[in-house]
Amino acid sequence: MTAGPVVAARGLVKRYRLAEQDVEALRGVSLDIAAGDYVAICGPSGCGKSTLLQLLGGIDQPTAGDVTIDGVSLAGLGDRALTRLRLTRIGFVFQRFHLLPVLTARENVELPMAEAGVPAAERRQRAHELLAYVGLGAREGHRATQLSGGEMQRVAIARALANRPALVLADEPTGELDAATGRQIMALFRRLHDDGTTLVVVTHDDRLAAEARRVVRMLDGGIAGIEVKC
Amino acid sequence: MTPFALGARNLGRHPFRTLLSILGIAVAAAMLLDMVMLAGGIETSFAKLLGGRGFQVRLSPKGTLPFDSEATIPGASAVLTALRQDPAVAQAGPILGLALHAPRRTAAGADTLVTLFGYGLDPAAQGIYALASGADIALGDTLGVLLSPPAAGRLGARVGDTLVLQGRLDPQVAVSAAERRLVVRGMGEFLYDYRGQPSVALPLPVAQALAGQAGADEVSVVMVRIADDAAVAAATARLRERLPAVQVSSIADLVVQFRARLTYFRQLSLILGSISLAVTVLLVGTLLTITVNERLPEIATLRAIGLSRGHIVAQVVIEGAALTLLGGAAGVALGLVTGQCLDRILTSFPGLPAAVSFFVAEPRSIAVAAATLLAAGTLAGAWPAWLAARAPIAGTLRAEAT
Repeated sequence: MTAGPVVAARGLVKRYRLAEQDVEALRGVSLDIAAGDYVAICGPSGCGKSTLLQLLGGIDQPTAGDVTIDGVSLAGLGDRALTRLRLTRIGFVFQRFHLLPVLTARENVELPMAEAGVPAAERRQRAHELLAYVGLGAREGHRATQLSGGEMQRVAIARALANRPALVLADEPTGELDAATGRQIMALFRRLHDDGTTLVVVTHDDRLAAEARRVVRMLDGGIAGIEVKC
Repeated sequence: MTPFALGARNLGRHPFRTLLSILGIAVAAAMLLDMVMLAGGIETSFAKLLGGRGFQVRLSPKGTLPFDSEATIPGASAVLTALRQDPAVAQAGPILGLALHAPRRTAAGADTLVTLFGYGLDPAAQGIYALASGADIALGDTLGVLLSPPAAGRLGARVGDTLVLQGRLDPQVAVSAAERRLVVRGMGEFLYDYRGQPSVALPLPVAQALAGQAGADEVSVVMVRIADDAAVAAATARLRERLPAVQVSSIADLVVQFRARLTYFRQLSLILGSISLAVTVLLVGTLLTITVNERLPEIATLRAIGLSRGHIVAQVVIEGAALTLLGGAAGVALGLVTGQCLDRILTSFPGLPAAVSFFVAEPRSIAVAAATLLAAGTLAGAWPAWLAARAPIAGTLRAEAT
């Protein structure tokens, strides 16, 4: 672990218009996430947890407040720099996996590495290792459409780890999966944490939240409480 | 995984839709190619036809084009002498065009007259036929003729047969003022004939006698071969000065005249070509816009995981270009086939030399059509690509989740 937080959010406010109504999704949220931490963000629908995750990952801009990643403020970054930061420092896992159906599992994992300019042989080797890590070594040549939901999510996790990010953000990673498959993903996240990956997981699933070292409870766009496991 | 590979693979997501689009583009590409071929084809074909036998200059009656009227050049001998004195002139071939008639007994036993298009010429310096079978008319042979296959067919004549050719026919009493018995020496392919034209080539003095111009010394056209191709323009200008009473035209001059008469074709091809390009742009643009809208959450995800706007733009533009390329390739094949069909229809119009093609498949025409189409298809991908690259990441993912 490093001395400072990997991610620091200060006074995050986010307002946007949805169906011709102003929505205040976040009302001054501040949060530090240390390296190697495992944070679950929980709360009812519409409480602002996904919005917070998007701001932490630099895929949306706060109305007020700032996010820093490894000490770099996202507020001052243009689209190109933000894109590069997401590519190299942040891994994303989404509820609906969003793998490219025209690519194989290995090619999906290689995609961020190819964008980062990793040489072909090196990215092939790393994709192979990552798929083995998530338990899909035997299926790396299968198209995304030939995989089950749980397998697709594991490929998405391998993709998120491709460029050795400082932080992995997951938005409802078990939301589309049945209970048994969800447990496999939870076990994989536990393993990632044990191996030192910094994880922030937005979830409705109490069992998944219970795996985290810290649970951030959100309500009405603010943090209602933080539970820390000893 | 490059944007090129991704863009190409994305076409396989909806194979039937992609196939339909490719077919649509192929039809538009075929139309574009046909229009490009039509725009320049007839001109190219005409120039090739005129220069095919190596005669680069034509002399015709003042103010006319060769065989454009029944006017003749008077004092042909003097004109030929002047031509042969020019050091640049390698050959000068006079031609007299005239209507001839040949009696023929039908299978039912009735007598009928077959009208032929006669070319009185100097067999040693002629550029209007190529010998197909039999023998050519020899120097000094005043009894020999050559027939075109349609003329031989109508007369039922073969090499070695004797024909009676009549000139100056009085149409009211069907009696001719001049008549000759001539022998068919061979069959010729007449380069400037329209399809099915019954033609006969005969020595110029015989033709002049049949036309009643034995002493008149007149011809319709003189074809001139210039020894050096590079000297054609200078020789044409010089002949124009020396022979002010006749029209001296190089092939380039005739092509210019011909082009002026073909403005209609060029306008037609420009309009139809533009329509086919617009159809391609609309097809590719519509398909890619639909595709991009369907894939917005996926595109937002790609942007979220760090793929640049440039990557997304390249991917979509390449999809458009690949679609256009595939459709264009099929369109070239289709265009060549339809061009041939259309050519057969147009060249069967009476009065047009059968050897002229309206749709000439030159590599340049194909390259111009393909490049224009590819540029249009690529451009058509620009708007959907821009939409994809500018889509808000968070908003798109939020909308998908709700």
